[in-house]
Amino acid sequence: MKFDTSGLESHGQLVGASDGLFSGFPTAPSFEIPNTTDFDCFQKEAIQMVKPAKGTTTLAFIFKEGVMVAADSRASMGGYISSQSVKKIIEINPYMLGTMAGGAADCQFWHRNLGIKCRLHELANKRRISVTGASKLLANILYNYRGMGLSVGTMIAGWDETGPGLYYVDSEGGRLKGMRFSVGSGSPYAYGVLDNGYRYDMSVDEAAELARRAIYHATFRDGASGGVASVYYVGPDGWKKLSGDDVAELHYNYYPVQPSVVEQVMVET
Amino acid sequence: IFEYNGSALVAMVGKNCFAIASDRRLGVQLQTIATDFQRIYKIHDKLFIGLAGLATDAQTLYQKLVFRHKLYQLREERDMKPQTFASLVSALLYEKRFGPFFCQPVIAGLGDEDKPFICTMDSIGAKELAKDFVVAGTASESLYGACEAMFKPDMEAEELFETISQALLSSVDRDCLSGWGGHVYVVTPTEVTERILKGRMD
Repeated sequence: MKFDTSGLESHGQLVGASDGLFSGFPTAPSFEIPNTTDFDCFQKEAIQMVKPAKGTTTLAFIFKEGVMVAADSRASMGGYISSQSVKKIIEINPYMLGTMAGGAADCQFWHRNLGIKCRLHELANKRRISVTGASKLLANILYNYRGMGLSVGTMIAGWDETGPGLYYVDSEGGRLKGMRFSVGSGSPYAYGVLDNGYRYDMSVDEAAELARRAIYHATFRDGASGGVASVYYVGPDGWKKLSGDDVAELHYNYYPVQPSVVEQVMVET
Repeated sequence: IFEYNGSALVAMVGKNCFAIASDRRLGVQLQTIATDFQRIYKIHDKLFIGLAGLATDAQTLYQKLVFRHKLYQLREERDMKPQTFASLVSALLYEKRFGPFFCQPVIAGLGDEDKPFICTMDSIGAKELAKDFVVAGTASESLYGACEAMFKPDMEAEELFETISQALLSSVDRDCLSGWGGHVYVVTPTEVTERILKGRMD
């Protein structure tokens, strides 16, 4: 049974512009399949090897003034913390952000790939790509690699001509439009705080504080989230990084230590 | 199964004193349930035991040990020496060789003439005596590195406290499953000092 490789051909003709524009560009190389006797088993093992449990917390929500995006910065390999300073909010272009959850390499590569495709679209059509379009591009690419072990749980947030846009895209091929999302192992904790404090008409500062608190609470309860809580705001002029606070300091800001009376016990020797 | 609850324990020897420290997190895999869980228990004024590993086994094992020690006190009318206690723990653990307690104990005490004694064991009772420091728990590899780097022989109580606290806090910062503060006991022949450390709560 011949393995069907048509899904792996790159989408060089996505924008449907005249061929003359694209003939000069080399098509992006498609990924090679390894030469094994038992490809299915190899796939399964590859998936198990790269299967990170999406140990992270990221969230994004739309409100009156735009989109607020926040994430922690811890990378964990099982129980070991490999880094406390990972950039999980990826800048696709000056008015669109993507968040990283799942495999770091997968997210970084495909977001950069998406940035390239968005720029090509802009050049071909003389206008910026919409958030809807960008998220659809990414979702289609990920759907083609479905079942091959990619692990990506990302949110695409941006501001286009129709206003703020937020989409959740994952490596299973799902794509959802919504107002509030949180992705990762710490997401239940973040949802609790986010859903409780959310109002559509918040100011930028209030929204930033809500996002920061939600990330902080998730890092407190979830072992695989921690480090620095970074908060970005996407407005009509593009994205702006608002803050990057170390979560340990946030804890003692929100819950300062009460000096307690220490009893001195006399020990008989 | 040792990584179900998460733990970090370290004991260090100083000049006529010892210090034993643990983290304070109790979790169920990645979720944190409590941040004030006690892992170090006092057997008597000069003998402490810390139990790393599965929390339920640690609590049960502690209750059995307290029972045995109380019986010993009634019969012998004195406290147990740390070396004897270590043998007791080792025997209790080996009794369950084919259905073990999933704990790693760390025993620290002042023996004859107030000479500090520390030892650790694996879950079936293999004693490991050390002259400088012993570690146990999910963060044990990081703890080995930190202790090796920071330890000096014959430290006084205050310096020992600083060293063990730094070693504990920096190691648990590299472990998802332990941390959320620290609990340090420093024991000298005349006093026992218990201190709680402020750590990273993530």
